[in-house]
Amino acid sequence: MGDLQIKSLHKSFGDVKVLQGLDLDIQDGEFVVFVGPSGCGKSTLLRCIAGLEEVTSGEIHIGGKRVDDVPPSKRGIAMVFQSYALYPHMTVAENMAFGLKLAGASKQEIAAAVDHAAEILQIQPLLDRLPKALSGGQRQRVAIGRAIVRKPGVFLFDEPLSNLDASLRVKMRVELARLHSELKTTMVYVTHDQVEAMTLAKRIVVINMGRIEQVGTPLEVYHQPSNTFVAGFIGSPKMNFMECALVSADEALATVKLSDGAVLQVRADARTKAEGEKLTLGIRPEHISASQTEAHNSLHGRVQVAERLGDTTFLYMDSASTGDTITVKTDPENTLNAGDEAHMSFPRHHCYLFDSQGQTLPRTPRVRA
Amino acid sequence: MAIVIDKSQRWRVLAAHVFLIALCAVVIFPLLMVISISLRPGNFATGKLIPDTISFEHWRFALGLPSTAADGHLVYPDLPVLRWLWNSVKVATLSATVALFLSTTAAYAFARIKFTGKKAALMGLMLMQMFPAVLALVAIHAIFDRIGNAFPLFGIDSHWALVLAYSGGIALHIWTIKGFYETIPVEIEEAAKVDGATPWQTFYLVLLPMAVPILMVIFLLAFIGAIIEYPVASVLLHQQDNLTMAVGSKMFLYDQKYLWGDFAAAAILSGLPITVVFVLAQKWMISGLTAGGIKG
Repeated sequence: MGDLQIKSLHKSFGDVKVLQGLDLDIQDGEFVVFVGPSGCGKSTLLRCIAGLEEVTSGEIHIGGKRVDDVPPSKRGIAMVFQSYALYPHMTVAENMAFGLKLAGASKQEIAAAVDHAAEILQIQPLLDRLPKALSGGQRQRVAIGRAIVRKPGVFLFDEPLSNLDASLRVKMRVELARLHSELKTTMVYVTHDQVEAMTLAKRIVVINMGRIEQVGTPLEVYHQPSNTFVAGFIGSPKMNFMECALVSADEALATVKLSDGAVLQVRADARTKAEGEKLTLGIRPEHISASQTEAHNSLHGRVQVAERLGDTTFLYMDSASTGDTITVKTDPENTLNAGDEAHMSFPRHHCYLFDSQGQTLPRTPRVRA
Repeated sequence: MAIVIDKSQRWRVLAAHVFLIALCAVVIFPLLMVISISLRPGNFATGKLIPDTISFEHWRFALGLPSTAADGHLVYPDLPVLRWLWNSVKVATLSATVALFLSTTAAYAFARIKFTGKKAALMGLMLMQMFPAVLALVAIHAIFDRIGNAFPLFGIDSHWALVLAYSGGIALHIWTIKGFYETIPVEIEEAAKVDGATPWQTFYLVLLPMAVPILMVIFLLAFIGAIIEYPVASVLLHQQDNLTMAVGSKMFLYDQKYLWGDFAAAAILSGLPITVVFVLAQKWMISGLTAGGIKG
């Protein structure tokens, strides 16, 4: 009913190619989140699905029906806009009823649908108000209510929470998750906020420069990023990258040398690469441990800045082994201060190796001794 | 609300007020003059601002009421002033309505629909409007003369012809409304499209209700423009009963005889419909109709 297929979708605005051959399969009832940096084409993709943009080439199927030539209202979708896009001259109830009214539904039908949606979203007391008398969160609820009333096969959300303040955003996020488990309808959600992506999505679609970089569950894209872009985009603070050269590789371990000659071992299969080939080593800030005691598989560095957030401490380290600052996320009890020398230990199974094209080299399982 | 101000500032505020009051006096003086002239016995343009004796002879003339002549019998006014006023109101209302209809729809197309030649058409409209209608008087007369041969309803000496001629001058209105439409976020219309609205429904049910204030402004401008217009009306209308107020008023001013008093009374009368329309329209000219639709 609400499944969605996209086949080699292209979209250009004049000479600018925004979407370059996208293929995607979304199951009925799935919650899929498109993430990517601004300008990556994720909103354009959503607008193509909605029918607000014509596709240049390719196919879109919703509920088994090809829809790329079908007007938005007949695609079985409902859309929630970032700016809410409520009709300012209509009351909340009229806003929600507008679609059904145009479709020629009976008064009882409309009233029932509006009441049902209002109940789900707990906005019954607001039904007679005009949008201007509502707060941001309430307006977004009305916008979602307007979508629910249409009983769509697919909900499309275009950054619905980015206009809300931080605490409200968390609240609405939880509510959207609840809404999805209640309605069990397919939801496609566009955001640049990876916390929203990680928490809401059943599957995440990472988009960059008009291409899909990776599709996977939140933990898959976090633990098994397919390339440097996904590795760097998912996770906050972002993954540390450092250039290195391959020294030796066997089926379990790869040994690499950093620019200053420091040697590190990584659980990755680099046997396809030649000795001396340029690679990129990646490790997430939360996987590095920094202390003054010497450790195995570690780099030496100096703390530039220590940011103590209370529940966690970020250390920004300088190291001769890499030109960039290395970010380390440690527990708040860590005693290192700015100016201290320290050893950063890189657990081998938490390190990633990327080839010169940015593709992740296969990782090898951790062998427990 | 009030910001704390320096003492020297207060003198400047006082000076500004004196200047503004003087300016208001200068602006309002001609109106007071006209009122004064219309209430003064005889047809004199000069005299005191507050007349020594008040006479309603000019008003009786303008309102079509008979007055008693020196020899005792009743004299009926020889010019149909009220008729002209009605003609003016009729033509202005019709042409403002037509202009409003044409300019809102055209502006919607220019603001929202993509089509080839849009830019050229917009510029063309603007350029055409820059030539005063006076320059085209000969053409207008010839055109309506010809049209009248085929469709007498739109020929010379018909009010419909005048309405048609006035409806051509909407380029500026289109630009104004287009500018307003462009301030309305596209998302609201997109939401309507997703909700199943046709382009016409989107325009009529979603966009127009938000545009009411600007539509009122345009109606008012078009109405005033039609009431005060002289050149085109003077070319298209000939019979005394068909004239509009602006053209008819010229009849008070012969070379030999200037009926300033009657003219003044008629002039005030012609200002009435504008005032009435303005007061009515003002109710709708409120801001904030689009508030709340999107994140402000």
